[in-house]
Amino acid sequence: MVERQSIVDDPPLRIPDLSTGHGAGPRADDAPPVFEAADLSVYYGAFRAVREVNLTVRRQQVTAFIGPSGCGKTTVLRCFNRMNDLIDIARVEGSIRYHGVDLYDRDVNPVEVRRRIGMVFQKPNPFPKSIYDNVAFGPKVAGMKGDMDDLVERSLQRAALWDEVKDRLKASAMGLSGGQQQRLCIARALATDPEVILMDEPCSALDPIATGRIEDLMSEIKSEYTILIVTHNMQQAARVSDMCAFFTTEVNETSDTRTGVLVEYDRTEKMFSNPGDSRTENYVTGRFG
Amino acid sequence: MVRVAFSEELTQLRLQVEVMAVRVGEALSRMAQVLETGDEDVAAAALSADDDIDAMLVSLTERCYDLLRRESPVASDLRFVVSVLRVLEELERIGDLALRVVKAGRDEPMLRRQPDLFRSLVDMADVAGGLYRSAVDAWAGQNLRSARTLAERNRVMDSHYSDLLSSILALDGPGATSLAVAAVLVGRALERIADHTVIIGERLRYLLTGDPAHLAAEVR
Repeated sequence: MVERQSIVDDPPLRIPDLSTGHGAGPRADDAPPVFEAADLSVYYGAFRAVREVNLTVRRQQVTAFIGPSGCGKTTVLRCFNRMNDLIDIARVEGSIRYHGVDLYDRDVNPVEVRRRIGMVFQKPNPFPKSIYDNVAFGPKVAGMKGDMDDLVERSLQRAALWDEVKDRLKASAMGLSGGQQQRLCIARALATDPEVILMDEPCSALDPIATGRIEDLMSEIKSEYTILIVTHNMQQAARVSDMCAFFTTEVNETSDTRTGVLVEYDRTEKMFSNPGDSRTENYVTGRFG
Repeated sequence: MVRVAFSEELTQLRLQVEVMAVRVGEALSRMAQVLETGDEDVAAAALSADDDIDAMLVSLTERCYDLLRRESPVASDLRFVVSVLRVLEELERIGDLALRVVKAGRDEPMLRRQPDLFRSLVDMADVAGGLYRSAVDAWAGQNLRSARTLAERNRVMDSHYSDLLSSILALDGPGATSLAVAAVLVGRALERIADHTVIIGERLRYLLTGDPAHLAAEVR
């Protein structure tokens, strides 16, 4: 008689984790929360642009917001540092807690919020000043003391721009290339020693090489910062993020309006390999816009 | 719907895999025929047809690589393309193993003169053929339930193989050694055909469910 072990009865295979760690931050459930959004809705006047978003953003993870145009990704992103305050008719319901504190509490200083939660925009927007003054501006306004030259250098180093500009810090920022300007904007955001960096399609206006540099930069700094990124580039979301939130729009037939909703929020690996919601599957596979 | 051209390419790829599966099914039919009769014309046709199977493997593999490069598939599309790559290799291996049996069936007429031994080989060929047809039907119909049963049904190969070894050990007389070697090679090839068929079923389960546990099952 020949003994052959059937594959049906075999004990579970213990599969070691051979991942390189690239793109993978701390385990999703272990990292402490930085933001907790609860039933977050955003209104522009009477129009509800985004409906009841619930998600937790954890420390030192990159969280990507993806979804079709007009689904409220940027609107939600801008809630995290109260940039929507700058729009008169914008109103927030529900809550966003930052380390347990309600960001929209009347006692919270929005300027201090934006110092700790920095932002990089789609179109690079350096000030019409020197490279040095762009980076030094935020710390000076915030009254930060200490060696400003050192702070500027460290910020530019962190943004992977120092070697390219160290010999011309007094030159105008407007003379830099698009990719360099965007890295300068990142250096500017880092100079105020934030905890969180919000990025609104930071690479949309950049060529592939500049985009690659920004993505490399994100990989380098994610161990120190919590990053939220809105992106239309799904391969980018798959490459750089640990967690991914998919938004879409729901159409109200009666009023002919569209409201953004959060459909699914999970580990990026799951969202791009086996998402739970068919709407997510349809979006990431590109079958339906 | 967008990416219409990509969707059509995926459909075409699925159909081409089914065509290759049909060719391998024909190879298994020829294999059974040569094993039972030693027909040299059928054996020659089998050798020639194996070249076509190999060529299909290369062509469809390149098509998969091209899709990966161009379209960056994700989610179910990615699972589909990588599963096709795996299934293509399994089909090609089944074709090669069938050819091994064809050559033995053609070159070793003594296999057919040992009733017990021959019966075991024919039974194993029947089981392998039946499993293969089920796996191909499951793939074509994307049928999870059928795929689930393949591993269990493969168990019967164990008893057939055991019977085969008993018959081999009972061989005696001149030519017994070379006959034993040929019988073991044929028996192992048939057993491996069934194993590769089960792997196709596990890969289909992974494709349909996205559960990586089925990837582990492929290698056990």
